[in-house]
Amino acid sequence: MPTPTPHVATPTRWTLFLRTFIPWQLWRFAMINLRMLGIIRSSHH
Amino acid sequence: MSRVVVLGSGVSGHTAAAFLRKWLGRGDTVTVVSPKDHYNWIPSNIWVGVGLMRPDQVTFPLRPVYERAGIAFVHGAARAIHPEGDRADATPYVMVEPTAAPGTRVKVPYDYLINATGPRLRFDRTPGLGPDGFSHSVCTEDHAVHAARAFDESVQRMRKGERQQFVVGVGHGTCTCEGAAFEYIVNLEFELRARGVRDKADITWLTNEYELGDFGMGGMHFRTGGYVQPSSAFNASLFAERGIRWVTRAHTTAVERGRAHYETVDGTQGELPFDFAMLLPPFSGVGLTALDRDGADITARLFQPNEFMKVDADYAAKPYEQWRARDWPRTYQSPAYRNIFAAGIAFAPPHAISKPYQTPSGAAVAPAPPRTGMPSAMIGKAVAASIVDMIRGADGPTHTASMAEMGAACVASAGANPFTGTAASMTVFPIIPDHERYPEYGRDLDRTFGEIGLAGHWIKILLHHLFLYKARLRPGWSLIPE
Ligand SMILES: Cc1cc2nc3c(=O)[nH]c(=O)nc-3n(C[C@H](O)[C@H](O)[C@H](O)COP(=O)(O)OP(=O)(O)OC[C@H]3O[C@@H](n4cnc5c(N)ncnc54)[C@H](O)[C@@H]3O)c2cc1C
Repeated sequence: MPTPTPHVATPTRWTLFLRTFIPWQLWRFAMINLRMLGIIRSSHH
Repeated sequence: MSRVVVLGSGVSGHTAAAFLRKWLGRGDTVTVVSPKDHYNWIPSNIWVGVGLMRPDQVTFPLRPVYERAGIAFVHGAARAIHPEGDRADATPYVMVEPTAAPGTRVKVPYDYLINATGPRLRFDRTPGLGPDGFSHSVCTEDHAVHAARAFDESVQRMRKGERQQFVVGVGHGTCTCEGAAFEYIVNLEFELRARGVRDKADITWLTNEYELGDFGMGGMHFRTGGYVQPSSAFNASLFAERGIRWVTRAHTTAVERGRAHYETVDGTQGELPFDFAMLLPPFSGVGLTALDRDGADITARLFQPNEFMKVDADYAAKPYEQWRARDWPRTYQSPAYRNIFAAGIAFAPPHAISKPYQTPSGAAVAPAPPRTGMPSAMIGKAVAASIVDMIRGADGPTHTASMAEMGAACVASAGANPFTGTAASMTVFPIIPDHERYPEYGRDLDRTFGEIGLAGHWIKILLHHLFLYKARLRPGWSLIPE
């Protein structure tokens, strides 16, 4: 299927800003690492 | 004394060999057979492919690492497995073609065998596909270097004012690894912006996925902003934001100079002109054969027709709707020989995860199930642990690593820069949807999430260094999770 007219959600300027806003991203870095460690822990048998 | 032979030195085989060596006594031997004498951290090839990394940053020589660890190395490609030995000697062995002496064969005897030979890149399945044809690939570091060179030439042209068309995706209806092509397209777009030529580029995603964000695993769902959203929305949003067009549900029928031809599930015959194309190939197994002690061909007992090895999965043919998560293998032991295992991409998946479709002319548009780095390494480790226990007297495999019972963490780079880069960080649990346990979405939404941001890029860089450190078997390597 070729690209439909993009009736898609696009990020707001605030969302885009947060994606590279370092203090927020440092927090996300910690949280994502914790989530990933959780996945790794629950996957080892 | 036991001899364990591992075929392949990729993520899965290398992990298995390293743990075997760590856990087995010095009286037992661990031998790796591989046609490549260097390790390639494949996930970072996408950065080589846009000129951000040199090949030596994603590879290292294996011999010194194996020498230090006490692992024997045979530089060559396995060709045939003789699980019963031959008439003269009942010791099982593998026939290997040494890289230094093509056409000759050497015998490598084993007590336990792990087949971790990964995929054969089937560019031959689509006329004109691949580095020997008219499109590029990033599956190996060499392919990625060529892709980077061609990408750079396109950038030079754009700097002179020419418009350039880029097509990125998969080159056949049965491809897997859409995630890798996805990373490449968003990195390519990011680099074009970084080099100030984005306004001269048209970029198109060409995929066999029924919906964007399927990745060969039937897509996934995330809780976000008060909704449960499918990954198709996530990907469409990113592509719309980046000005990337897309063609989904497509089987690429042929590639010629400057043009990719495709047919979609609804019968549309289309073509995409390009100045630069990176299209991943479909995979098969590497084509190992198997012979019994009389020399009779028993390949079909060990392998599926797609050349991947049969293991403890339920391979009974059944309609897509009837497969279950428990059809997936747990121990990776061959049902034919108790001392043979397959790990990583080399094992035969029992069925597709994404719903298979066909074009009106009968071409399959059926993404194959991905087997990414984390499960490949975890399977390698579980198989190693089982073999160690069996050598010590256990009746059968003692460790499991079912993709229907494990999750995966994946970070897909969307642009590499320490301050402005981003990556999509994703976790899924389980990898294989389990509609009996999680009737609504097939996965546990508390453990399935996706988010895009700079933090993901930092994690991707961290993983690059961490996994290369681990693969070099430096002090403390075994503490780094798979
Ligand atoms: C471009 C790209 C990007 C990717 N990015 C990611 C990512 O970001 N995250 C992720 O989790 N996964 C990613 N993957 C997938 C990941 O690379 C695979 O999951 C992983 O490499 C599979 O490991 P493996 O050991 O099964 O196979 P491989 O790593 O392919 O290793 C196979 C080994 O077998 C050897 N071999 C081949 N033939 C023979 C033979 N006849 N005899 C002996 N040895 C043989 C090969 O030389 C190689 O050493 C990516 C893949 C690609 C192509």
